[in-house]
Amino acid sequence: MTCDEIRELLPEHLLGTLGDLQDLEVRRHLRGCAGCRTELDRLSEGVEWFARAAHDRTPPPELRDRVVNTLEHEWSDADAERPDVSRTRWIGRAAAVVAIVAVLGWGASQTHRANIASADAASYRNVLTTLGGKEFRVGTLAPRIAHPFEGSVVLYDSHQGRSWGIVLVRAPGLTGRAKVTLSIAGGSAAGNTTIDAGWLEFQPDGDAATWLVTSSDLTPFDRVTVTAADGTVLATAEIELA
Amino acid sequence: MRAREPESDAALMRRFARRDAPAADMLYGRFASRIYGLGIVMLGSDAAAQDLVQDTFVKLWRNADRYDATRGKLETWVLLVARSLAIDALRRRVLEARSLEAIGRPPDADHRPQPDELAATADMAARARSAMERLSGEQRAALELAYFGGKTSAEVAELEGIPIGTAKTRIRTALLRLREAMAEEQRDV
Repeated sequence: MTCDEIRELLPEHLLGTLGDLQDLEVRRHLRGCAGCRTELDRLSEGVEWFARAAHDRTPPPELRDRVVNTLEHEWSDADAERPDVSRTRWIGRAAAVVAIVAVLGWGASQTHRANIASADAASYRNVLTTLGGKEFRVGTLAPRIAHPFEGSVVLYDSHQGRSWGIVLVRAPGLTGRAKVTLSIAGGSAAGNTTIDAGWLEFQPDGDAATWLVTSSDLTPFDRVTVTAADGTVLATAEIELA
Repeated sequence: MRAREPESDAALMRRFARRDAPAADMLYGRFASRIYGLGIVMLGSDAAAQDLVQDTFVKLWRNADRYDATRGKLETWVLLVARSLAIDALRRRVLEARSLEAIGRPPDADHRPQPDELAATADMAARARSAMERLSGEQRAALELAYFGGKTSAEVAELEGIPIGTAKTRIRTALLRLREAMAEEQRDV
């Protein structure tokens, strides 16, 4: 479509009366055409002024409280509808990931045992026993921002030089990526006190997960920090030493 | 340290999506009067207009993460959400009226705005109305059908008995003329 043809469609695009296919074509054109975007801005201003002229009335003062209360109920109900994210559930999910990691890391001979473990995910001790690991340590992420943020960390200390950690997070409304770092709260005489545990990629529903598999000894690491791309600390977890 | 710049609409909607009460309050302050007024004009009563404001804010929150600033201004998006809900309410009302007629009961008589609902408006709104007077009757009718009625250009053309190209031109010219008139009004202040 030419710019002239697109501009003829802009009012309907703006007023939401364009068919889906034409609307898609307009949107694609707008992304690559500054001139048509300028035209769209001019028409938008026209719509705003029309709205002011045609229907701008001061609502009764009590309406503000009514809307705020309604939103609070809406938010509360949204919490109630969310699936159970108890520690047991997180560990259950972690155990399922154990099976994946075990399959990747220990080869086909371990597959059968790992599958048995994941089938009994309610008890992570069963997984530990099955895999022959040293210890599972679990921590709960505490938010460091004024925003719903919850999550769990599972660290698996292996006897076999193949330890791993899993971080599972739910933070509705957060987007983008966040970095996960393991650290030793009091420092370490051995030198390295932090391990990069990868990035969380937030899904549209706010879920995110990351894990690492490492030959490093995770035993002394007792703190997990989740940091946004801009450096803001989103959450931390303290993990008891074994 | 954050710079003290005006918050973008996208950032405001992200905060709203995260249930930030001050963001909700800010959105209410910006849009409640226009949504309420839209309810008065389209639905004709204070009660229906208040319901429209409430329903619109709930819908805005449920869809807050879908707002894409690159696709249009927040003002336009909010007003289209409100208009869509108002049209739904009108459709329900028509269906209810038909049902009542079918069983022999008269529908509620008067949904026109009451005098106290037609309260004095803000200066900005008054100037906007003054700008509206620069539109021809045909332009205004086409714009109102598209805006309030959610009619496509083809439907406007059919209702007005004009070619579709003429309907498109009237709507577009009306919007651009309003913008120009308001720009002049603001220069004169």
